[in-house]
Amino acid sequence: MFAAPRKLSLADWGERHLQLQQAGRREPFYGGPLRRHVELEKDFRLEQLQFDNSPAALRLWNFFLTENSRLHQARTAGDKIVGTMKDLGTVPVMAYALPGVRAFYPDGAWWTPCLMECSDKLLQQAAAMGVDASFCPVRAMLPAFENGEHFPKPELIICSTGAVCDDFSAIAQRLEHRGHPVFWWEIPRRRAPAVGETSCELPGKLLAPRSQVEAVRAELQRVADALGQLAGKSLGDSALTDGIRAANHIRQILADLRQAVYSAPAAPLPALEMLIAEMLAIHFCSDRPEAGLVLGELLAEAQRRMQQNQFVLPPDAVRIFWVNPVADLRAMNLLEDVGGRLCGTDFMFSHALDLIPESLPPLEALARTALADPMVGPASDRAKRIIRECQTYDAEAVVISRIPGASHCAREGESIREMVRQELGIPVVEMEIPPVCDAMLPTMTSRLEALVETARNKAKGLKPNSL
Amino acid sequence: MNVFLTSPWIPAEWIRAHGLTSRPLWLEERLSNAPVALSAGVCAVAETTVRFAETHPADAVVFTSACDQMRRGYDEGKFRGQSRVFLFNLPATPTPAARQIYCDELRRLGRFLQEMGGAAPDTKSLWQEIRRAGEARRNLRAIAPSANARSLAEAVAAYHCDGTCSEISTCPSDDRISLALIGGAFPKSDWTLFKSVEQAGGRVTLNATKSGERSLCPEGVDAGDPFEALASGYFDHITDAFQRPNTRLYDWLKPRLPARGVRGLVLWHFTGCDLWRAEAQSLREAFGLPVLLLEAGEATGRSPRDQTRLQAFIEMLKAEG
Ligand code: SF4
Ligand code: SF4
Repeated sequence: MFAAPRKLSLADWGERHLQLQQAGRREPFYGGPLRRHVELEKDFRLEQLQFDNSPAALRLWNFFLTENSRLHQARTAGDKIVGTMKDLGTVPVMAYALPGVRAFYPDGAWWTPCLMECSDKLLQQAAAMGVDASFCPVRAMLPAFENGEHFPKPELIICSTGAVCDDFSAIAQRLEHRGHPVFWWEIPRRRAPAVGETSCELPGKLLAPRSQVEAVRAELQRVADALGQLAGKSLGDSALTDGIRAANHIRQILADLRQAVYSAPAAPLPALEMLIAEMLAIHFCSDRPEAGLVLGELLAEAQRRMQQNQFVLPPDAVRIFWVNPVADLRAMNLLEDVGGRLCGTDFMFSHALDLIPESLPPLEALARTALADPMVGPASDRAKRIIRECQTYDAEAVVISRIPGASHCAREGESIREMVRQELGIPVVEMEIPPVCDAMLPTMTSRLEALVETARNKAKGLKPNSL
Repeated sequence: MNVFLTSPWIPAEWIRAHGLTSRPLWLEERLSNAPVALSAGVCAVAETTVRFAETHPADAVVFTSACDQMRRGYDEGKFRGQSRVFLFNLPATPTPAARQIYCDELRRLGRFLQEMGGAAPDTKSLWQEIRRAGEARRNLRAIAPSANARSLAEAVAAYHCDGTCSEISTCPSDDRISLALIGGAFPKSDWTLFKSVEQAGGRVTLNATKSGERSLCPEGVDAGDPFEALASGYFDHITDAFQRPNTRLYDWLKPRLPARGVRGLVLWHFTGCDLWRAEAQSLREAFGLPVLLLEAGEATGRSPRDQTRLQAFIEMLKAEG
């Protein structure tokens, strides 16, 4: 069942899947050959990707790629579906604390144009609805809501607003204008406490004024009331405490996985699988218990490979810290094709990776977690965490991927780049990655190659190239 | 010291009550004329605000969190060591928690103003400022329906500078096509648009930009605690695209568009401004009126291309009868 780690194309995975079946591998209800996602869901991008060859990776991919159909099944089975938007990680912890409620992020439609190689025409449909290419790819969410061909229409839509990106705020408002009522809750822009002001510690080594934590706690109470009303059962402290514990269980597995993979002498798992694994933190890919099992198997695979000194990439791969999610998944393969490996990430939801404090009243703990969102605070806070993690995992270079149209990318990349360079003196490259990056591949390849070479030269004590 | 505000939803009365001079940065000539080199996706208003703060270290600039670009522009200023900048957390929702945030921010702004050399406001002077500005807004709102567009914009600008109501020339109704101008910042350098509209056979009868009537929404509450009156008068009447939901903006437009006989909407927006750009289709759907999107640029309102588009838009409205 276990084979030496290597990367497989989609075609190779067909063969490998057969082997696994013959070897007696039992798959969960959403399992099966990966190719069927191309045939059934038109996820054509899979044909351009390289996948890890482990059974754990197969499970991860099948889990990730069946989310919409699992949501439809859950709806048929009578579950209440909540579309939770923008906060990336906090409201789902609350929703899953209620029996019969499933929360998902319609924001995930972000990747649909990539997966379907734009064959779905969601981006064109979004433009026809007044949201054109000047907005980030999350605009795909708008037509996906209306055509019902992707995720089921949620019974309740909850969206954080205030210190959020303009793209999402504008698109969510468009959604409401088109007749989908939105429950808005305020997340203020996090600021450092003033001298003498009562402050609170947040996950991620951050501080915020108590008044801001109080405001968010009050907003989350409203969210809890709305969720309770939907479920027909009040969402009190005891259920929330259990929900936090269950979420922390998953966050802990993910933390162990990140620690194992990013600190290993060579990469036991590829970058692409790590990106997908990290994504599970934000809403458990719509199935909390299963998300824990999927991540657990992935962690076991990474540990097994490390014990056997087996790696998916050569040990001399350059250790790269990646900032922002990639609109095209293929970019993660590319990073490895040019001689890099992932050794740390900030995919804009680092607050969903941190453990939620269990020693505090649950809503207060969740408020502190929500306020620790890297996107609601200053770019310098985000950069500080990136620097810390670069140090922890010995990053040799940083890639900041720009998201086309994203309002925050216009400025924050530059601040992060400057701070990383000043503090660490390692090369940083910022580049835009569109949802289907084929046309940009030559440019992206040469920029990543230059980054890898610069990092290698630096390690050898040679003069770095200018990037 | 001048305190430059970047939003009409922060009370200039509060600045004046601290003994400082308040200035509307979105109307500042020096802002409009500043040449800016924009990197991809950066909005010109946010960028010129950042550069203004950088080049006017003796003045204070109050940014708001109402949009990502301004918020991050403030971050950049702070990162570069600017000390006379303040980020006002302007909530997007009307919830009780948001109201509390607004009040906390006003108090925090007060402490910043005192650090900048302002005096602690006393009840009497605060009431004076509140009453004076409230009356000016009421007067301006009353005359707005019959005002000449340019003259009203100038009076609104004067009000934002000193809280008074100046003379306005009126404009009798005629058969020109009535348009509403909707959007955020509408700097003075772009006011030639009024003339362009007139040359094309139209007139702006509702200026719903930050330089027009919409910025006069705050109500002057005249009783109780002056701080509470000021905070409520503003917070309860913010009318803007960034609000969630932004029903107040639509509710505000709804009676005014038919009352002014508006036949078409001109949506004025800056490149990179998602918040306003996304409203085009919603405005069209909500009011059933045609919308012309005009993108602010160096020569907007005067460029042959925009003039042609404007003319075609007005011609189309005329043809509709
Ligand atoms: S602009 Fe950035 S944070 Fe906002 S939805 Fe797009 S990718 Fe996400
Ligand atoms: S024009 Fe738009 S993006 Fe620019 S500062 Fe104003 S609201 Fe923000």
